[in-house]
Amino acid sequence: MRRTNWLLRRACAGLLVSALGFFAHRAPAAVSGEVVIGVIQALSGPNAQQGINAQRGTELAAEAINERGGVRALGGAKIRLITSDVPTPNTAAEVTQRLISQNNVSAMIGTVNSATTLAASEVTERGGIPLVTFAFADQITERGYKYIFAVSPKGSTFGEAQLNYTIAIARAAGENITKIGILYEDTAYGSAQAKGLRLAAAKTGVQIVMDEAYPQGITDVTPLVNKLRASGAQIAFPVSYLNDSLLIIRSMRQQQLNTPVVGGAAGYVLPDFRKGLGDLAEGILSVAAANSDLMPDFAAKYEAKYGTFITHDSLMHAAALDSVVQAIERAKSSDPEKVRDALATLDYCGGFAKGVPGGCVKFDATGRNASAFPVMVQWHGDRPVTVYPPQAAKQKAIWRGKPTS
Amino acid sequence: MRPAITPAFVLFVLFVVAASLLPLGFDPRGHVLRVAAMALLFAATAQAWNIVGGLANRISLGHAGFFGIGAYSSTLLYLRLGVSPWIGLLAGAALAAIAAALLSLPTVRLQGHYFALATLAFAQVLQVIANSWPGLTGGPLGLSIPFAGSQPLKFSFRTVSSYYWIILALLVVSCAVFHLLATGAIGYRLRAVRENEQAAEAAGVDTARVKLIASVVSAALTAACGTVFAQFTYYFDPDSIFSLPGISVRMAMIVIVGGLGTLGGPIVGALFLIPLEEASNAVLSSKAAGLSQFAFATILMAAILIQPRGMMALWPKRWSAGAKLTVERTSR
Amino acid sequence: MTQALIDGILLGGVYAVIALGLSLVYGVVGIVNFAHGAFLMLGMYVSWFAWRHLGLDPLAGSVLSFGAVFVLGYLVQRALINRVLAAPPAAQIFLTVGLLIAMENGALLLFGSDFRSVSVPYQLQGYQIGGIFLSAPYLYAFISAIALGGVLELYLARSWTGRAIRAVAQDPMAATLAGVDIRRTYARAFGLGVALTAFGGGIILPYITVSPTIGGQYVVLMFTAVVLGGLGSVRGALVGGLAVGIIQSLSALLFSIQLENLCLFVIFITVLSLRPQGIVKGM
Repeated sequence: MRRTNWLLRRACAGLLVSALGFFAHRAPAAVSGEVVIGVIQALSGPNAQQGINAQRGTELAAEAINERGGVRALGGAKIRLITSDVPTPNTAAEVTQRLISQNNVSAMIGTVNSATTLAASEVTERGGIPLVTFAFADQITERGYKYIFAVSPKGSTFGEAQLNYTIAIARAAGENITKIGILYEDTAYGSAQAKGLRLAAAKTGVQIVMDEAYPQGITDVTPLVNKLRASGAQIAFPVSYLNDSLLIIRSMRQQQLNTPVVGGAAGYVLPDFRKGLGDLAEGILSVAAANSDLMPDFAAKYEAKYGTFITHDSLMHAAALDSVVQAIERAKSSDPEKVRDALATLDYCGGFAKGVPGGCVKFDATGRNASAFPVMVQWHGDRPVTVYPPQAAKQKAIWRGKPTS
Repeated sequence: MRPAITPAFVLFVLFVVAASLLPLGFDPRGHVLRVAAMALLFAATAQAWNIVGGLANRISLGHAGFFGIGAYSSTLLYLRLGVSPWIGLLAGAALAAIAAALLSLPTVRLQGHYFALATLAFAQVLQVIANSWPGLTGGPLGLSIPFAGSQPLKFSFRTVSSYYWIILALLVVSCAVFHLLATGAIGYRLRAVRENEQAAEAAGVDTARVKLIASVVSAALTAACGTVFAQFTYYFDPDSIFSLPGISVRMAMIVIVGGLGTLGGPIVGALFLIPLEEASNAVLSSKAAGLSQFAFATILMAAILIQPRGMMALWPKRWSAGAKLTVERTSR
Repeated sequence: MTQALIDGILLGGVYAVIALGLSLVYGVVGIVNFAHGAFLMLGMYVSWFAWRHLGLDPLAGSVLSFGAVFVLGYLVQRALINRVLAAPPAAQIFLTVGLLIAMENGALLLFGSDFRSVSVPYQLQGYQIGGIFLSAPYLYAFISAIALGGVLELYLARSWTGRAIRAVAQDPMAATLAGVDIRRTYARAFGLGVALTAFGGGIILPYITVSPTIGGQYVVLMFTAVVLGGLGSVRGALVGGLAVGIIQSLSALLFSIQLENLCLFVIFITVLSLRPQGIVKGM
């Protein structure tokens, strides 16, 4: 027993010393001739699919930028990405802090998840590092923060588009929409979009006969489907991540509820959506921030490398990275302060910004990309195609099985 | 009641002095200091848990509930009414004390596993309420502490070192409270209850009352730690602040690994576990998801299997201050 | 409303089998296994892999889950749990909590974080009886659960091991004197307990997606069912499971979905405080 104790004491001390020794080790300062950009994404956990897509888009864009000459204003400096996994919002602050303290980043990019972005941005704001994100939630750009930029429209804008575009498509097919049901996951993303849906419904006089929030990790959606059926809604507008989107569609089909579904991006536009549902996915509409058919060359490159079609996560993050690079070019410096100032006045319509509907990245005073607008996509075959609005549409929408005029 | 100048007391003072000098050697905005501050904060929280878990030997798996009450109270008062978080801290502590008193009603007679389950449910109830009442708590979106620059009266500072010293002070308070309880009349009665509750009752100890007092004090202290945590990490949501593995288990684990019921246990446990977890995360989390947590859990299990009494038991008895205890299970 | 009731019963049958395992472990081995949810998750994964690579329907795959997790449970008990049976409750609690975290993250390491689901023909089917809709996967899971419950009841009553298990639950000392090998019985009981829960996981695969943390969703439900029915009681677990299913289903209907578990928690605390031995007694 005493010998065990002696051994254990040494073991404890040893472990502690090595842990402390780890801290004494500092990451090397940035090599001149390169620009370090931090990336935070959920690479594990429930949102991993989207995080990985975003990560890939960012990397591919970085490769492309480096190939065409890197950052010219800094003598062709190459972009180096340092990525950290943030599976849940409550690890975000810590991970971001660690990334910033141990590396000389000029800017940060990420995440796809609104709640995680909110948490991470608290750190970047205090640390004076600009963060460019794709996450939707309105709150992200409504806090008066100076170091946060979002390349996509607000969540409520997506919500409004989700309803307004649907009304337009239905009208073209001769149907009038009067009663709708909305069901949404209850974190920042779902709530923001639900708000938008309500706004649009109020403006167009559409009645919301079902309005239900559900917990993000829900495993049994039967009560939701029952409520939907009982409400008599003509169309269902769910706002979900991947897992819940699969559950909802399957459950509806299983309970033989054939109400048309217009999804709220996130889960509804992922390759795994189609993999999980097979033919059930056909014809499902969803609002989205961007789509593969808006940037066919890049999309083809992505698909060749990764085997699945490119999602809006990847496209928008490529645009985010490109904006940061452009900001560095214009500021002629990789200092975070100067990069931030350059981002605030950016008006960029080239490179990967072309993948954003509207073709440009131009941040307004709150940090939102004011020139971007949502698109409506529909599943045809193994991928979504853009069907609305007309200036971005590649194909006509199919409503209740019939092509619209 | 002056504490006796035991070797343990001297050690403690030395520790506090050394700890307060730490920020001078490190970057005041830096990561190392953050980790150290977090370790001390969890030590303080663990010490609060130690009052119930160690002195009273009632394993609570729901202390995150009090932690969250503290965080939400101060933050909501600040965001909605502009009340300084310092005052909010007191309000949170008071609320948590009330909650503990109320919770005592159904749980005072519960033992061991049953008590653990009931407290676990308590924290979950609060989590569900926080998640589904956006009007009050902001719902699943959580709450952000707005960045106010350097305003000490509003508990807002630019450098990590300021928070670090406040946390150190909190730790000292936490240990003082623990020590006072442990060596005082309450501690004496709690020890009796721990050893044999029925005998204690027969000897005239008001078991319900002493358990209640321990519970209330522990809750108030935990809530204070929750407030400081919220101010320090600027953002929290129901799932993180009421978290079973992240908060409840962590604070208990620190005490268990360090030494249940001892004054030094929470400190030793926190200083060992938090930096270890941090290093493990930094090195392993980018290699494979889940690897660092897996390693961590394995270490926890190993620690319990090898020495169920915790690290403090590895050192000779004269070094440990405060009541030492573990009640061996002799019969089912 | 009746629909919700029926849904609740179908869910409850499965909860019963899951809770049964937990109850068995407590009743016999004497520890509350906080890692129980992780065994559920394992059972689901085993069934999923059986479906994916062997083409087995999850209902059949659940039997495989039962077997595989039984073996694992047996080993876990011998190697880990056994060592803390005489230790303070604190040590026991944290051993199983540590086990929970280790298993969840182990699964994350091995299987990744993707949600996996099966695709079986009856997934989209249902039966209509009167105005009530019975979805096929729920119904089949319910039937399997009840069937296993019946088999277990017989096993505990008739077989030697079953009787040994009951004997140990009643009085370990007397059981030892009667010639029962305590260690092996503990291991078997634990193995059986987690295997039951794993089976429960397998049969719900057609309508639930599995991920490493799925067990966490069921922890509350399991414990409430067990406490309602009485820790250690088999029949009680059945009553408790059905009760939990119905309460949950009705709560989701009457309140918002987010609050569906709140009712359960409150009931949980109330029953624990008023009648910790549960509403149904005996084993």
